[in-house]
Amino acid sequence: MRENAFRFGRARHLVGVVGLPASATDNVGVIVLNAGMVHRIGPFRLNVEMTRRLNACGYPTLRFDLSTLGDSSASAELESRPQQIRADVADAMTLLGEKSGCKGFVLVGLCSGAENAHTAACTETRTAGAIFLDGYVYRTAGFMLRHYLPRLFSPKTWRGFLARHLRNNPQLADDAPDFRHEFPQRSAIRTDLIGMLDRGLKLSFIYSGGMSQYFNHRRQFRECFGRVATHPGLSLSFLEDTDHTYILDTDRDRLLDVIEDWLLHNFPVVATSISA
Amino acid sequence: MMALQEEALPCHFGSNNELFGLYHAPAGVARKAVLLCPPLGQDLIRSHRVYRQLAETFAAEGTAALRFDYYGSGDSAGRSVDVSWTRCIADIIVAARELRARSGCPALIAFGARLGGSLAIAAAAAAHFAELIVWDPVLDGVAHVTRLDALQAALRLDPMRFVKPRSTQDAAGQWLGFAVSPHLRQQLVELNLQPPVTRTLLLDSLPPDAAHDWDLLVAAGASVKILNPPTIWDDLDRLEHTILSHELIRAVTGHLREIV
Repeated sequence: MRENAFRFGRARHLVGVVGLPASATDNVGVIVLNAGMVHRIGPFRLNVEMTRRLNACGYPTLRFDLSTLGDSSASAELESRPQQIRADVADAMTLLGEKSGCKGFVLVGLCSGAENAHTAACTETRTAGAIFLDGYVYRTAGFMLRHYLPRLFSPKTWRGFLARHLRNNPQLADDAPDFRHEFPQRSAIRTDLIGMLDRGLKLSFIYSGGMSQYFNHRRQFRECFGRVATHPGLSLSFLEDTDHTYILDTDRDRLLDVIEDWLLHNFPVVATSISA
Repeated sequence: MMALQEEALPCHFGSNNELFGLYHAPAGVARKAVLLCPPLGQDLIRSHRVYRQLAETFAAEGTAALRFDYYGSGDSAGRSVDVSWTRCIADIIVAARELRARSGCPALIAFGARLGGSLAIAAAAAAHFAELIVWDPVLDGVAHVTRLDALQAALRLDPMRFVKPRSTQDAAGQWLGFAVSPHLRQQLVELNLQPPVTRTLLLDSLPPDAAHDWDLLVAAGASVKILNPPTIWDDLDRLEHTILSHELIRAVTGHLREIV
């Protein structure tokens, strides 16, 4: 594994780390986006562990900070945030392509990173696939039944509710950042997914137990998005015991196993004879 | 007077280029230079923004700054479980050499938060720092280990994080998201910082109910400045909140202006 840090982008405003496998390959490159406000190393260094593991499998990688996040600056362009994200991801693909020779790219994002990966994957023609960690999903009638019915008669649930309520820290409520925002219409996301799959993209949705307020069963994805959920280019995993940011070693290992298996299945490693 | 600053330059340095750093060059010749020693574990991630803000402010005022990650942390080589106290000190010495070479400033000021402050104190003599600025440093290793153990024990049962409580085994050998070797744990238990002979500014933003036991530094002549509002470092509810402190940036940059 070899890593090099770069300042790059149309305004030299982005900072990222390129990791290359030991030998040259014809594989897709994997680009990992910020999770929330965490800089490019990811929550609990998840992105570092992920990119190094994928380098060991033979995939070139780039973990980088989008405009204004981590160590990256603003580009000084008058663009909407979605436009900035698309342009930043395009810059990232250009950099990783130059350094590794790969022409297709898989985007990986957690939480807001999954939303940003979705935004970029919709229009960026060099996208070959995307891995959405706790990406878009919507509560369904099935979710409500599974969520509330067992809880209604459970003393444990009521005890937990009271504990959370009593623990509610008013100072925390005051100083905690509030990143809530409106999700796009479900139909718009469904249309986007159909469009991506029609373009031949491979999509992986991985949900954590930390999404239990929004997602509680594999079948919810079908309830939510309909027949697109059964498209052969789309896969779904539900790591029910884990938290949203994979704070435990064993959970990060499980997640990385899922990601590695999915990549090797959909984008098999092909070594080339010319060393990079 | 704020000068137009250069872009921070990401780089790798040290043996086998194992250490990641960002060098913040001022416009023109650097008048001073500050080595920013990061804390360890989740404190590193939470304080990343403050460290960036500090370095950019320094550079804008003509002071060179180097931010870096220890071996096994951040973007540097190595796994989280490879972090060791002695290696961190060795990395500070290497980073100090790198900053001197890049800035041309022989006299360096070191800044560090939490364990980053403790490490800066421990490395001060070997790295030949001219001045230390430490923010809520950890001086009592046993108390720190006890605190992290308690937080880790609470974390695996946290209903706000896990649908079901996790086993002791699942949470073993880690502190708040990071694998910890028995070696590092023992090094922290045996932490025995020597009073720094280097001039030291201690910035205290611990909450009122925390132990403000700064005797080691005060006896060595450190000046203490209280910062408000307090910084909540050890709270599961804030574990993934970014630490922001305009008061800290004001205090540090104000202090730097006074240093000739």
